[in-house]
Amino acid sequence: MAGRGRGGKTGSLTAEQMQALGCMGKDMPQVQTAPPPTFPALLNKPICLETTTAQNYQLLWKEDFLNRMRDSPYYIVSASQEKQKTSVKDWREKALERLKNKAQPEFNYKAMPRELNSNYRKRKADPRPKVLAKKTNIEDRLKQLEQKELKNGGENENDEVKRESDSEHDDEPEDPEAALDDEMDEENDYANDYFDNGEAYNEEDDNMDDGPVY
Amino acid sequence: MSADYAHLCSSILEQCFGKVVQSVADCLFSATTRTLSQIVSSTNFSRKEVVLAVAVLIKFRLVNFEPSKNNPFLAEYSLRREDVICLLRYSRYIHLVQTKYGNVGASIAEELLNAGSETATGLLLKCLSDGENKAESAETYRDTFIKMISDHYIIKIPELMPGDEQDEAVPKFQKNECGFFVPPNIDLQLLAQIQKGEATLSKALDGAIVWSLNYDRFHQEFRDDIMKLAIERKLGENAAECFSFILNLIYNTTDPWQRKASNLVTFVEIKQAIERKSNNMELIKYLDQYICLIMDDSLGFLRKVGDMGGGQYLVDMEKTFESLAFACVEAVITERFGSKAARIFRVIRVKKFIEQEDLQKEAMIPAKEAKSLAYNLFQEQFIHVKVIKKPGGGGSGPAKAFYLFQIKDKDTVRMLLDNCFKSLYNTIRRSNYEKNEHKGLIEKSQRLDSIVEAMKERGESDEYIAEIVETFTPPECEILNKVKNRIKTLSKAEMTLDDTIFLLQMYQHHCTTLPTGIQKFK
Repeated sequence: MAGRGRGGKTGSLTAEQMQALGCMGKDMPQVQTAPPPTFPALLNKPICLETTTAQNYQLLWKEDFLNRMRDSPYYIVSASQEKQKTSVKDWREKALERLKNKAQPEFNYKAMPRELNSNYRKRKADPRPKVLAKKTNIEDRLKQLEQKELKNGGENENDEVKRESDSEHDDEPEDPEAALDDEMDEENDYANDYFDNGEAYNEEDDNMDDGPVY
Repeated sequence: MSADYAHLCSSILEQCFGKVVQSVADCLFSATTRTLSQIVSSTNFSRKEVVLAVAVLIKFRLVNFEPSKNNPFLAEYSLRREDVICLLRYSRYIHLVQTKYGNVGASIAEELLNAGSETATGLLLKCLSDGENKAESAETYRDTFIKMISDHYIIKIPELMPGDEQDEAVPKFQKNECGFFVPPNIDLQLLAQIQKGEATLSKALDGAIVWSLNYDRFHQEFRDDIMKLAIERKLGENAAECFSFILNLIYNTTDPWQRKASNLVTFVEIKQAIERKSNNMELIKYLDQYICLIMDDSLGFLRKVGDMGGGQYLVDMEKTFESLAFACVEAVITERFGSKAARIFRVIRVKKFIEQEDLQKEAMIPAKEAKSLAYNLFQEQFIHVKVIKKPGGGGSGPAKAFYLFQIKDKDTVRMLLDNCFKSLYNTIRRSNYEKNEHKGLIEKSQRLDSIVEAMKERGESDEYIAEIVETFTPPECEILNKVKNRIKTLSKAEMTLDDTIFLLQMYQHHCTTLPTGIQKFK
């Protein structure tokens, strides 16, 4: 009794179940053990399609459109494909290619993420405006200090100037984007620049061979 | 989105934009969003090529982007999967525009499709410099362009947020639904100056406003045409005209892509509209009868819901596309398995659940044949089996169960849609294969045509031209004709398949709650 249980799915239908489905004896469909053929024979020959004038117009336009797209600058051919092609080109094809290459793709880069614009250069911070700003600040500050000096008799001047300039330096707003750019900048990437060929391995040990220092 | 659709999208993009764009789109298809570095690492192309491919996809409005949630300076790209198939419908769009606005409209739409998206001034300049319609004035082009915008065939792409133009790593756009169809201010004088070379395009005031074709407005027109044609075939031209007036009235108060049914329209409103705009006296005289005819028809396009205003009606989109889609499914079954199989399918659909023995009696088909046909339909997933187990038993033998045939409407349509995607993909592949296989021959014939044309222009003698033409030997000519015919048949098949796909997609939009990506403003 132990092995019987309540049973699960047996995986195939019983004769009774097949009968209920209407399949018995010779009517039983053959068990399929292989994938169906790639090009199975057609049971019925498909009917021929009629072509209206509208369809004809559309067919011609579509063919024309695909040809135009193939010649347009938006049809991107990779460098590897280009190499394969150039090996079998004659002078006429090359001349045609040159004509085609004249057209340049037009993109509205303002409406696209900046990373897609290959002509975009990272704006380097212009030092002059900052210097000017600092100058004006210093002048203002000097005036204030002069006034203070007149009032207080010039006590602890230098200390205050120092403190002020320090605080100014700290308050300088940092551009988060620029920081990110610096972070992403390949030139600053330590992992790219640093290469250890292993020659320096154990160098420190060699230096220590001189003998112990007491 | 099925794997078949993914393959289809891939081959369509390869046809239009080449292998690099195809590879980038494949990468985007398999994920919700991806960053540029992720795309570069998963494709075998250089960063420069990938960047160009993504820019092309954005220009043709096939890729969206938005700032990443974790890093607002990083863009995440996503493919507009449902719009890729629109590339196959470009010829239909052009044909529709041509019938509505003539050659000028077709030229505008063509330039928009070639460029993906364009500013109004840039677009008109391209149209004017095009050789085909040079006789038309700039004013005609401008008026047609504005008319197309007011009819919603052309839509404005969302503008950049003011003030963000320079500083944002990922630009943000303002979505103002009211502004999508506001016509631009086109300066014709500046246009003339640019044409003469006295000014540059950068001086145009509308440089920041970009326009594109509004695919869903075209789809609305195609959908309405399907309904009108169905009524015309079944009930005649007058009934179709009446229904077209009803649809126009409904769009005054209803979002055209409302899923289940439209808002209400009264008999008086329909009568007034027809009397105002139609010259068809027969329709005006027997209007009430035509409306009754459409309403009582088994297609179920129109439904009466009240008696106010001489009778209130609504267009039942759900019932309409259920009827049309299943007429299509039945046609497919008839062509593949014969009319008896179609009868079996209809019987199951009417009865909802039916046993094998009852099925053969109801369909009046010999038992053996009915079994074989039902099995074929079951194997191809047009029909399904529902098992109802009798409670109780618990002995060692199998539980008593009833096996009932049924049709799962949504599953059947989805299966057929996937089959259509697969067939379309196969058709495109085969067409490309034929073109590649006979590339040399096709190019030779094109070169010969251009040489002959140039010779005719130069006024060379007919004998000399005939001599040149003879370089294309008769066997070559025969092969070329065969190949051209084969490619034409395949292209026709592509168009017919796309018609079926469109109908089934409409079924999915109106009869299910699945996300279809169809909406008034995109």
